[in-house]
Amino acid sequence: MGRHKKCIAMLLAGGQGSRLGALTKDIAKPAVSFGGKYRIIDFSLSNCSNSGIDTVGVLTQYRPFELNSYVGDGEAWDFSSVDGGVYILPPYETQTGGKWYKGTADAIYRNLDFLRKFNADYVLILSGDHLYRMNYNDMLKNHIKKGAVATISVMEVPWEEASRFGILSTDEEGRVTKFAEKPKKPESNLASMGIYIFNTEVLINKLIEDADDEDSSHDFGKNIIPKLLKENEPVNAYRFEGFWKDVGTIESYYETNMQLLKEKPEFSMIDEKFPIMSNSNIYPVQYIGTTATLENCIINNGCKIYGRIKNSIIGNGCVIKEGAYIEDSLILPDTVIEEDVKVVRSIVGEHTVVRQGARIGLREGEITVIGNNETIKKGAVKP
Amino acid sequence: MKEVIGLITANYGTRDMQRLSDERSIASMPFGGRYRLIDFSLSNMINSGITAVGLITPYKFRSLLDHIGTGSAWMLDRKKGGLYILPGTTYGMSDKSDRFLLCDMCQNDVYFHRTNAEYVLVTSANIVCNMDYTPLIEAHTESGADITMVTKIAERSNKYIKKVNVEDGKVVGVKAGVERGELAFLDSFIIRRELLIQFMEWYSVKEYMDIFDILRKDYKRMDIRTWNYDGYVREIFSVKDYYNTNMELLDMDINGTLFNEQMPIRTKVQDCVPAHVYPQAKVKNSLISSGCLIRGEVENSILFRGVTVEEGAIIRDSIIMQSSVIKSGAIVKNAVIDRNNLIGSDMVIKGSEEDIYVMLKEQRKAKKMG
Repeated sequence: MGRHKKCIAMLLAGGQGSRLGALTKDIAKPAVSFGGKYRIIDFSLSNCSNSGIDTVGVLTQYRPFELNSYVGDGEAWDFSSVDGGVYILPPYETQTGGKWYKGTADAIYRNLDFLRKFNADYVLILSGDHLYRMNYNDMLKNHIKKGAVATISVMEVPWEEASRFGILSTDEEGRVTKFAEKPKKPESNLASMGIYIFNTEVLINKLIEDADDEDSSHDFGKNIIPKLLKENEPVNAYRFEGFWKDVGTIESYYETNMQLLKEKPEFSMIDEKFPIMSNSNIYPVQYIGTTATLENCIINNGCKIYGRIKNSIIGNGCVIKEGAYIEDSLILPDTVIEEDVKVVRSIVGEHTVVRQGARIGLREGEITVIGNNETIKKGAVKP
Repeated sequence: MKEVIGLITANYGTRDMQRLSDERSIASMPFGGRYRLIDFSLSNMINSGITAVGLITPYKFRSLLDHIGTGSAWMLDRKKGGLYILPGTTYGMSDKSDRFLLCDMCQNDVYFHRTNAEYVLVTSANIVCNMDYTPLIEAHTESGADITMVTKIAERSNKYIKKVNVEDGKVVGVKAGVERGELAFLDSFIIRRELLIQFMEWYSVKEYMDIFDILRKDYKRMDIRTWNYDGYVREIFSVKDYYNTNMELLDMDINGTLFNEQMPIRTKVQDCVPAHVYPQAKVKNSLISSGCLIRGEVENSILFRGVTVEEGAIIRDSIIMQSSVIKSGAIVKNAVIDRNNLIGSDMVIKGSEEDIYVMLKEQRKAKKMG
């Protein structure tokens, strides 16, 4: 066996993100573009890399092609390592047949070989869907200090939103006394962020028990954590302060992107000590033409801008032609907005072409979403 | 196609870079907002299917090797072939701007012996072009010539570029300096490997000279031909070349011929945040790299990564390199501002088209480098 490892990460990246609609029609939610250059999975991968975790299993399932090719061998996040790195772990066939991952716990259970191969002291379970910056090392130190078998990262959420989350109650020491998945009447506003650290041995045993339980839905929040609590095992809550978001809906996806345009964004991409890394294609430098007018815009690599843009984010490799007008919108990478097109309060997907004179979006009401790889015909109106 | 190995020579300098290349070779001069000059030669090699590339380093190679690393950005971190760092000799410091010193090759003769490749494609590292070498290789193998030199009718005169004299389709000599309309040598050629090895033996007493000067008396005895390149190409020898060639990237036709998806110019990836153009900013006809924060006016300029332009600052017709900060009220015109400089409030820096103002790296430090 290779060098002894203290902690490896298992990144759950199989989710569809069905509430993101057109944006996840052909790609998994962790592969959805963010800020015009990043993809959502960049945040958890960068967090791992910045926390010194050098081995990550990425569990994929839904529409994995784009995600798998994006993650590659993890080199873009500095994961190239002779005895670690990034491993894509899809569902697989066995001698007795194969099946899809049935739940978060089942996904890990089906990869016990992977956990055993690396045989680290601790396993960090993550979701590839979340936007945040976090040093997992601090959480691991807390886990070890508290002598827990499992630690759940938690944060305070507004009371009125608490019933959307897994809610924990703790004692003064931070030991979890109660866990309720999406409670109607929450007793606390400490929400689970879906980030867990387990002692490897405990995790393996619990997953084996859970796999044999026919009544279980094989989910960490619904089954594994409640079982540990029921058995009176020490489960610790680690409080996280800072920005964390599960961009589950179009509105929260749009808002979280657009806040990057603020003078002082709540969640900024700029942080030299804790950079968010990404695996981008090679693009030449952004060109702002003579006919362009820009008013508060984020412009990514490879863009060619000839039109007028206000308060918008333009993704890698986009071309915004002369006479086009874009306001309060998010244009995802490699999209072409042709002459005299008007886009307001919209999200336009990747590799999409909006032909001359088309009108997209409305100033009020729901955000308009155009999917990936689409062509909007000349003069078309998409409110 | 017979196997070809590449050789990039970066061991030379000129006095006309106004000290911009004091601490770095011309090969590692930052270019076009995110590139370095050597990116073109390296990318052209791999885009033409050459996967073993030797790089003759200049004396001051820190910035060059920092940029190139293992060569992974050009997919040259390979088992078969890959990138070979070949230390250049001290003759490269003579500022004679000789591009193909025989001694640099003699010193690294192992590179030429430990291969079965039939040909060596040699190029200097200050050429801005997106050239597919495949037709050159084909022309050379078909003709069976000893050497095939890449040439082009000169669009302007240049004392550093060699003029090629051709009679009956064969090169009969070269001379330093080319006038507009004459046949210019584009500092790239292909040669049979065995012949190059023979050169090292035959001419060992003259090894401190450029190959094309050594051959002076022997041109007529050899079969040296030319291959004309009709695409966009510029060579950088002076601040003026450097400035003008950068500025030509604002012509999107030229920009598009240099940077295209089919033959991408690759460079070291630096994961920068996107550029942010704030409400107060005015930006026209400029290249604005990632990591730039723009609140002032920028026109006809090239900004490298991480440049900050405060509100009320004005930048025109200038090149601002990485991490420089232009404070509110400052005016920069016709200037090259090297890396990590702080242009203070109300400072006025004005060069002219004829006389570009040059501010050296960290002349007025913007911040401590981490």
